[in-house]
Amino acid sequence: MNLPKIHSISKKILVGALGAFLSFFLLFHASANLLILRHDGGEWYNAFCHFMGTYLIVKVMEIGLIAALLLHVVLAIWLAVTNKMARPKGYHKPQRSKTHTGSKLQVWTGILIFACLIMHFTDFYFVKIGLVKGKYLAKTEDVVALKTTQPDAFNYAEQHGEYSAKENWLTNFDKEDKAVLEAAGLEVEPDFYHQAREKFKVLHIIIAYLVFFTVVWFHLRHGFAAVFQTFGLYNYKYGKAIEVLGQIYTWVVCLMFAVVVIGVYFGL
Amino acid sequence: MKLDSKIPAGPLAEKWTNYKASQKLVNPANKRKLDIIVVGTGLAGASAAASLGAMGFNVDIFCIQDSPRRAHSIAAQGGINAAKNYQNDGDSVERLFRDTIKGGDYRAREANVYRLAEVSGAIIDQCVAQGVPFARDYGGLLDNRSFGGAQVSRTFYAKGQTGQQLLLGAYGALSREIARGTVKLHTRCEMMDLVVVDGRARGIIVRNLVTGDLERYAAHAVVLATGGYGNLYYLSTNAMNSNGSAAWVCHRKGAAFANPCYVQIHPTCIPVHGDYQSKLTLMSESLRNDGRIWVPKKKEDAESIRAGKLKPTEIPEENRDYYLERRYPAFGNLVPRDVASRAAKERCDAGYGVGTGFAVYLDFADAIQRLGKDVVEQKYGNLFQMYQKITDENPYETPMMIYPAIHYTMGGLWVDYELQTTISGLFAAGEANFSDHGANRLGASALMQGLADGYFVLPYTMQNYLADQIYVGKISATTPEFDAAEAAVKQRIENLMKNSALRQAQGPASLKTVDHFHKALGKIMWEYCGMARHTESLTKAKKLVSELENEFWKSVFIPGNANEFNPELEKAYRLEDYFELAQLVIDDAMHREESCGGHFRTEHQTQDGETLRDDERFMYVAAWEYQGHGQPETMEKEPLVYEHIQIAKRNYK
Amino acid sequence: MKFTLHIWRQENARAKGHFETYPLEGISPDCSFLEMLDILNEQLINDHIAHPVCFDNDCREGICGMCGLYINGRPHGNDDGITTCQLHMRKFHDGDDIWIEPWRAKPFPVIRDLVVDRSAFDKIIQAGGYISTTTGGVPDANTIPIPKHKADMAMDAASCIGCGACVAACKNASAMLFVGAKVSHLALLPQGQIEAADRVHKMVCKMDELGFGSCTNTYACEAECPKLIKRQNISRLNRQWIGALFGRDRK
Ligand SMILES: Cc1cc2nc3c(=O)[nH]c(=O)nc-3n(C[C@H](O)[C@H](O)[C@H](O)COP(=O)(O)OP(=O)(O)OC[C@H]3O[C@@H](n4cnc5c(N)ncnc54)[C@H](O)[C@@H]3O)c2cc1C
Ligand code: HEM
Ligand code: SF4
Ligand code: FES
Repeated sequence: MNLPKIHSISKKILVGALGAFLSFFLLFHASANLLILRHDGGEWYNAFCHFMGTYLIVKVMEIGLIAALLLHVVLAIWLAVTNKMARPKGYHKPQRSKTHTGSKLQVWTGILIFACLIMHFTDFYFVKIGLVKGKYLAKTEDVVALKTTQPDAFNYAEQHGEYSAKENWLTNFDKEDKAVLEAAGLEVEPDFYHQAREKFKVLHIIIAYLVFFTVVWFHLRHGFAAVFQTFGLYNYKYGKAIEVLGQIYTWVVCLMFAVVVIGVYFGL
Repeated sequence: MKLDSKIPAGPLAEKWTNYKASQKLVNPANKRKLDIIVVGTGLAGASAAASLGAMGFNVDIFCIQDSPRRAHSIAAQGGINAAKNYQNDGDSVERLFRDTIKGGDYRAREANVYRLAEVSGAIIDQCVAQGVPFARDYGGLLDNRSFGGAQVSRTFYAKGQTGQQLLLGAYGALSREIARGTVKLHTRCEMMDLVVVDGRARGIIVRNLVTGDLERYAAHAVVLATGGYGNLYYLSTNAMNSNGSAAWVCHRKGAAFANPCYVQIHPTCIPVHGDYQSKLTLMSESLRNDGRIWVPKKKEDAESIRAGKLKPTEIPEENRDYYLERRYPAFGNLVPRDVASRAAKERCDAGYGVGTGFAVYLDFADAIQRLGKDVVEQKYGNLFQMYQKITDENPYETPMMIYPAIHYTMGGLWVDYELQTTISGLFAAGEANFSDHGANRLGASALMQGLADGYFVLPYTMQNYLADQIYVGKISATTPEFDAAEAAVKQRIENLMKNSALRQAQGPASLKTVDHFHKALGKIMWEYCGMARHTESLTKAKKLVSELENEFWKSVFIPGNANEFNPELEKAYRLEDYFELAQLVIDDAMHREESCGGHFRTEHQTQDGETLRDDERFMYVAAWEYQGHGQPETMEKEPLVYEHIQIAKRNYK
Repeated sequence: MKFTLHIWRQENARAKGHFETYPLEGISPDCSFLEMLDILNEQLINDHIAHPVCFDNDCREGICGMCGLYINGRPHGNDDGITTCQLHMRKFHDGDDIWIEPWRAKPFPVIRDLVVDRSAFDKIIQAGGYISTTTGGVPDANTIPIPKHKADMAMDAASCIGCGACVAACKNASAMLFVGAKVSHLALLPQGQIEAADRVHKMVCKMDELGFGSCTNTYACEAECPKLIKRQNISRLNRQWIGALFGRDRK
């Protein structure tokens, strides 16, 4: 096998850089999710999602994000494999050195994250690219047109979904409705607000998500300060501050995610 | 044997300059054609090999350990002297020279010592350029501390790890030459014999310690930098692999051995505490800068302490005997090592010892009060920690216990001004030669000497020797001399192993390990040829050593075989040489009927127990020539002529 | 005190190797760990005519870096900031089982029993772990003042003894602490800056080539380093590496 030669430290730096990029995204993602807690029929949240789905630059970033994730995973596993090879014969006695446990778990939490992400994608992202079915909404301009040209279809939609008069949005359709609306010439897109609100009403789903966030918590608790170390920014002066910042970041991100999930479940 | 010290003519201060101006040189193109073997990767060996390699010679370097960085120089703690006068306290080349001659009790060669003092400054420059992180003051300039036997602060240091940092500097320089291909490194290789062809040193036989194979190396010149033989005494501050064998096999081949009885006993070591003990740990001399040495004034107190009924901290100030300050008010706790060691022995022999009875206190209570715990911790923290790890006692709270131990050997292969032994082409550097320290070495001077030899002396003087060697061409390692040397080594190993096979057949009862004999030898030497010697003790020692040697051949057992990794065989090979060396040390001590420096004959002392030299009869270097196993050696004298310095009684009062 | 020792025995580099169990009695708590092994060896030779347990050691005072045993799951045993030769039996409990293994890492093959070949470290240093000087022709030592705190930091990094405990402790058998210590020592000094970029590049390439693993910021090395070398030195190594990748002054 002829793998490209990347020096160990460079590989590390790549994993770190991609990890840092993903972490930024997570913070962004978690903050945005808070919008789900607004009882506005999804106006704000769906507007946000709509924005994310419209502009080219955002789409490019989306591809970048997926690529970053995959590259992060590939490089990390590659590192883990070469690292294993550096000690062909192991110790009989398990190691008892004082270490950062987080780091030893990193690959495993990483792999778990990957598994959870598949679940997460089936719940949301795959709806968007049409791989699985979910909740849908129709766009504002179309709905205005529909109301006047095809009142039947509009009435059908209003009964099966929800109509927000203010924003002229039809939301909360199931996949059967989607076909009807599409036949009527409506352009539909996923309705993540209702999708989330539906999913997070189910106990086992929110438990799965809470596990997911815990795993992310572990991964980031080590990862945040580690990125500084990898980039050579961890020094005698700021070491402590970096650790603290890492803790704060990790808790904030994970709590924001958790609050939404739990909040929805308890009807907030 | 004819001793020619080859001291250049001219006034003392100009000798080295004159020598360098008139010596022969080897042109750069020819250097590549000349091979040099360096044995030893300590300060002397590593610095020599790095310098010679950089000059363009082909160098092969050997060491016993798995890496050149582990040579015993690494363990030196306190510091290195240099006449830089950075502290503006009146230091100069002249003063360092005088201190060293006086410290050596007027038994060193003037010209060598002067040269040593002269190049000392350049050593510091060299080391700083290599990145040796010497201690600095807040202005960013180099800091100094004071050491025994001097009234100026001229000792440069790197925490308590000066030897380590200097060696890593030299190791770096050596590594660079290895990378450039001018030096070839051979680790885990022990030199077993020297090969002499037509009166010149032409190669060595080594044993690959991993495979047990014997290998031959040929060269135009050989440098021996294999350290001292302090481990003759078994318990010493030296590392386990330090040995006298490399020098001894050269002695057997005709190199004179000088002043073997000059052995330095270091006053501040952690006392012996059990039979199983394998080595003694040095507590740096720098501790004497701030620590005060004392024993109880009253015998009853000493007894109660030994019985564990009294704690040292419970003894009031007026009942403590700060015997060094009492006896030597001018130098106090900073008297030279031999003086401090004997004073400790005197107190303990008189019944004032603490601990097991063979220990005195080194107390930091005053220093902690005066400077604060933080300052003391900064200065000596790692030493205190080391002490605590070993003894389980906290020196911040209770005084340390110390006792003298074998530390350094001033004796060694006789060398002339060019550091060449009596075998041409065989050079000796560092602790392995009989050195510039006379009968006693001052603290922080061995590092200076090792590096002076390697960086600044050998690179010049060896060229003088090698200049005409370009005509002899490559030296072959297949000549009869090499065959004979290798066969002899094989025979020696077989003798040791054959014996073992026999023992094995007889069953365990009669078996003894190598260490058993080494411990016994060490005890004899320490007891009867250690800090104090007299005719009777030496006679006794001689007899006991012979008996022990016979016993050794009868019942030593070396497991395994010679063609494998076999540490027991290594130890046995070295011990065999120690038996002969021990005899020579005793003979030398016997013949020198005076006390000087580290050599203290109880018959020759002043009324208040100080050394009593006999300059009339003994102002010479005793160079011994090997005459065959069990034969008394013959001695040649190199008279010491002091043209520059006024000889005086060594007085530290 | 009384112990049951389980020691890795392996006749040579090619042999398979196995654990052997030896009971040992009458050990003083003031005895050092290596002296305890001396006693065991004395008994092995005398009573069993067996080959003694081979282990590397030299200075026996924690400075040469020659000793190094993996004792009950910890390099240099159950104490902080010490080498194996500085470990004392009082750190154990009477009747303890003690498992003794050699350093395990691909670049440190076993030579015999507990002795491993660490020449890989020398090779890393040879790749560039020095300041190029030739003897003589250097400026006066006080020409370049160096701030005390920098000199002190350099000294702390330079105190590495090359024992390999960091590699032994690391789950990836990474040599980053060793390399980081040397790179830091030299990079912190003005003398070392001239070759800094080249040095870090060559040393890291050599480290990779020899088969050491890479760092995953686990810091077992820091926990086990007998000289308490800090992880900040690895961070500085990473920084130097980034500098070398993008800097101009590399050959
Ligand atoms: C604990 C301690 C502290 C000290 N502190 C100080 C101090 O503060 N200041 C000071 O000035 N001096 C000090 N000294 C003395 C000083 O360290 C030594 O005298 C000096 O370092 C010796 O250096 P060297 O190069 O001659 O030999 P070493 O450093 O002993 O090196 C010997 C080398 O020879 C090799 N060798 C030996 N035999 C063979 C063989 N047969 N075949 C192949 N290789 C062989 C070894 O492997 C090693 O590489 C101290 C000594 C000790 C023991
Ligand atoms: C939301 C997704 C993820 C985020 C935000 C993230 C973030 C990070 C961060 C910040 C680091 C620290 C980098 C460093 O040590 O310098 C890291 C390391 C790591 N990640 Fe992820 N990661 C994610 C997903 C994954 C996945 C899916 C895997 C799958 C295997 C994974 C495996 C690893 C591994 C093994 C490391 C350790 C690499 C090392 O220390 O050398 N990560 N990650
Ligand atoms: S960094 Fe520490 S553990 Fe690693 S080799 Fe150096 S001293 Fe040993
Ligand atoms: S034997 Fe030297 S460090 Fe342990």
